[in-house]
Amino acid sequence: MVPILHGLAAGVLFIASSAVCLADTTSHSDAASIQRGAYLAKAADCTACHTAPGGLPFAGGLPIKSPVGTIYSTNITPSLSAGIGGYSEAEFDRAIRQGIRRDGANLYPAMPYTSYQLLSDADVHDLYNYFHYGVAPVNVASHPTSLPFPMNIRMSMKVWNLLFFSGHRFTPDPHQSAEWNRGAYLVNGAAHCDTCHTPRGFLMQELSGQTMAGSQVGSWYAPNVTSDPVSGIGSWSQQDIAHYLKTGILLGNARAAGNMGEAVEHSFQYLTQADLEAIATYVHTIPAVHDPAATQSRFSYGAPSIELATLRGENPIRSFTGPSPTGAELFSANCASCHEAFGQGSKDGYYPSLFHNSVTAEANPSNLIATILFGVNRTTAAGQAYMPGFGGKATDPNQLDNHEIASLANYVFAQYGRAGIVVSEDDVVMVRQGGPSSPLVLLARIGMGVGAVVVILLILFFSFRPVRRSQA
Amino acid sequence: MASSYSADVVIVGTGAVGCTVAEQALDAGLSVLMLEAGPWVERWQIVENFRNLPPALKGGGHFDAPYPPKPWAPHLETYTEAVAAEYLQLEGPDALAYRQGYVRYAGGATWHWAGICWRLTPDDMRLKSLYGVGRDWAFDYHTLEPFYTRAEYSMGVCGPSDPALQWPPIRSKPYPMGRLPLGPGEQRLTDAAAKIGLLNIPTAQARNSGVSYHDRPPCCGNNNCFPVCPIGAKYDAATVLPRIVAKGGVILPNAVVYRVETGEKNIVQAVHFFDPEKTSHRVTGRAFVIACNGIETPKLLLLSRDDRNKNGVANSSDQVGRNMMDQAKIVTISTFAEPLWTGVGPVQGSSIMQTSQGKFRSEYAGVQIRMENAARSGIGGMAALQKGLVGKALDAEIRRLSACTGQITLEHETLPSPINRLTLSDKKDWLGLNKPNIYYDVGDYVRRSVQKFSVPTVKRLLSELGATDSQIATQFTHSDHIMGGCIMGADPSNSVVDPDCRAHDHENLFLPGGGAMTTGGSGNSTLTMVALAMKASDALVAQLKAG
Repeated sequence: MVPILHGLAAGVLFIASSAVCLADTTSHSDAASIQRGAYLAKAADCTACHTAPGGLPFAGGLPIKSPVGTIYSTNITPSLSAGIGGYSEAEFDRAIRQGIRRDGANLYPAMPYTSYQLLSDADVHDLYNYFHYGVAPVNVASHPTSLPFPMNIRMSMKVWNLLFFSGHRFTPDPHQSAEWNRGAYLVNGAAHCDTCHTPRGFLMQELSGQTMAGSQVGSWYAPNVTSDPVSGIGSWSQQDIAHYLKTGILLGNARAAGNMGEAVEHSFQYLTQADLEAIATYVHTIPAVHDPAATQSRFSYGAPSIELATLRGENPIRSFTGPSPTGAELFSANCASCHEAFGQGSKDGYYPSLFHNSVTAEANPSNLIATILFGVNRTTAAGQAYMPGFGGKATDPNQLDNHEIASLANYVFAQYGRAGIVVSEDDVVMVRQGGPSSPLVLLARIGMGVGAVVVILLILFFSFRPVRRSQA
Repeated sequence: MASSYSADVVIVGTGAVGCTVAEQALDAGLSVLMLEAGPWVERWQIVENFRNLPPALKGGGHFDAPYPPKPWAPHLETYTEAVAAEYLQLEGPDALAYRQGYVRYAGGATWHWAGICWRLTPDDMRLKSLYGVGRDWAFDYHTLEPFYTRAEYSMGVCGPSDPALQWPPIRSKPYPMGRLPLGPGEQRLTDAAAKIGLLNIPTAQARNSGVSYHDRPPCCGNNNCFPVCPIGAKYDAATVLPRIVAKGGVILPNAVVYRVETGEKNIVQAVHFFDPEKTSHRVTGRAFVIACNGIETPKLLLLSRDDRNKNGVANSSDQVGRNMMDQAKIVTISTFAEPLWTGVGPVQGSSIMQTSQGKFRSEYAGVQIRMENAARSGIGGMAALQKGLVGKALDAEIRRLSACTGQITLEHETLPSPINRLTLSDKKDWLGLNKPNIYYDVGDYVRRSVQKFSVPTVKRLLSELGATDSQIATQFTHSDHIMGGCIMGADPSNSVVDPDCRAHDHENLFLPGGGAMTTGGSGNSTLTMVALAMKASDALVAQLKAG
């Protein structure tokens, strides 16, 4: 099971097999436009949801774990029978920027049309050309999605759209530089950063005044990336931001894993230096949102330390797995061979230090738990950065149970990061299952009984929050 | 889905061979039940066991020390001579050369293997027809080659892409991963060997080189392959156990199989095991696989003698337990004028293999020549302490011994000989089962090689390397490559299993692994064992699918 980013585009762009053939598949093609479209598709990270691991590009079929059932991403290749080959440009535009598929049904906002609405006409045209002439058709329908009632009622989306969907195109700010405006266009449009980084309100709308202030995304936590020097990334230079997006690494600060690792791997590393710098220029000015509880930047916690003296000579040589290992014992046996005895990482930086590391100093413990469970697997031009998961998948060679992971995480927080963060076994259960769970299907059915449309909306949006764990 | 006591395929043993068959059978839709004599212990505990060992047990070949045996599943503890002699009974002129190390834990002896994945060469499989010694295999290299490839992709083997450095360079697919670089000591050896016309080549090894494979991380050079890879970068069968469970296989640890039960037409009906309370249980199935490596498998067959099989199960040929082979090892320890600095990277990373081939094999044994790449700091540290040194003098001596000493190992091909025989000892183990007894003589074929070829060659090599002092062992030791006890052949009158590792005497009993190997060559045996497990799996699956 591989959950993904925009929880939901599932079953969404399904195309009737009676699609009208294109009159001429080549005359509309324009090499430069296709190339621009390919670049935009990278910037928009379409592949994150629409290409399954080991599958053909954009053929869909990625299983998405959601609290209301498994949904499968759609085939967006130009196949007439299985993909979007039958879409006119206007129909394509309507799907991308309004969230309405060819048959008139609404898409769920896991397909980030609320961000893509900002795209320019020219960019939508290029994307259309790319997906029609630059992508190889795959005539295999992706796995059909079958969600339980009432999740299959798409009409409710029309009400939500009335409330929260503006339909505005991007409007440049004349007081800002062209570079800043380019960055704003990319960050809020194609790259849809806010989809993960902005917390949501009661109806799962993005909260105004909290833009990019940090939010739980399935198993992982997308942290505060506003310009606040303590709570956000205000301590990073524009160069730092661009470097991080290109490589997934800012030494002594942070590494990209989970959804962000995939965004670097599939999207940001391919952007031009100019676009990365434009993004950095804009991100650097995102209004600071300060967490009053935060007194210290998450990049500055911790120091090298070791507790081996508490271990050696204490434990016998066992012919069974010790039933109640200490955090220090688990760290020594599972972590220290790569992260080194003092948690300092390797000299070449391949293995990160565990202090001065955003993961071990975030108030929300999800990223540390998720990293232990699911590991890291991020490939960039510099090669693969890999850490094995310790039991997030049933096939992982080493399986730690919830108690062991909680002990280990508590030890790492106390020893190398933000002391005082306490991880419970329930926290591990939550991350292991893919994020906070809720009895929403049941509530929705009750809600239907009393005609509570609002509840349905809540359900739909809460359920389809962007959820993507690390790829298998 | 297998129940506790029945499955389509019942597999005894959870090492590399058992796990290979299990996964192939599960992938084919068959139910699988695995019975493991020893406990199932998590890697982190074994790593901690290793780190909690006293220094004297961390180095020097005590690879079993972090795996204390259960009373019901004794293996060879090497703490002391007396303890080592406790379970395995040995006799013959080279008895100590068969004191094999293996682990009766879920995951088996690959827990502490080096990960070396040499293939046999075409000539290794035709000793009788080419050189008039030993036996010919029932099939040729080209029959085995596809199974070698599957074994390499199943385990995740890294190796060179340059055919000049491949062994042998007859391959249908490239290695799944590129080779690992050589450490400085092995590079020195490579250069010295070249000066006397010998080619030291990078080892094909089941270890992740720079990338992940099967959810395991790349090797980061802990140099701890013996006795446990702390991060699982090296393939060991323990890394496969969760995958087998995820696919629906059932693994029962602490279940000591002591009897194979036959029925009409000599078809195997069940196996019987003792649990730790000494209670017996009966397990039925459609096909049975005994994958307990070359000592425990023949021991179990001999223990299972019944009215139909008075010499033991699968033993109408009287070959069960005979032809016990290993690579007879001669160890050399030397001091060098210049630092070698072994210890960078995995514990073994290269070998001279060309010395295993040649017309001389009609007269004496071929040999693999290898510089061990294990860090010498542990051994050097103990030696320096024993000299009574302290302070800076101690530091300097540890450094000198770590850098300027080295071990070169000679591993000789032994021939299958019926006199090298495993039988049941009168002595009983904790459960009351007969202990194995082995007579072992490396044979004149090997002794002539030492005299005329292998030791003279290594002396030239040591001289080229600048050795100032060398101790060349005069006694053979074991390589832990247990082969031959269920020897394969086309003729049921002089072999135990057919070319699919199926017992000649029992159509639903498979005995894949080292025991089935007809000859062993000079290379490490595991890859061939897993390739044979692949071949046996295909036959087993086809047989059960056919009904």
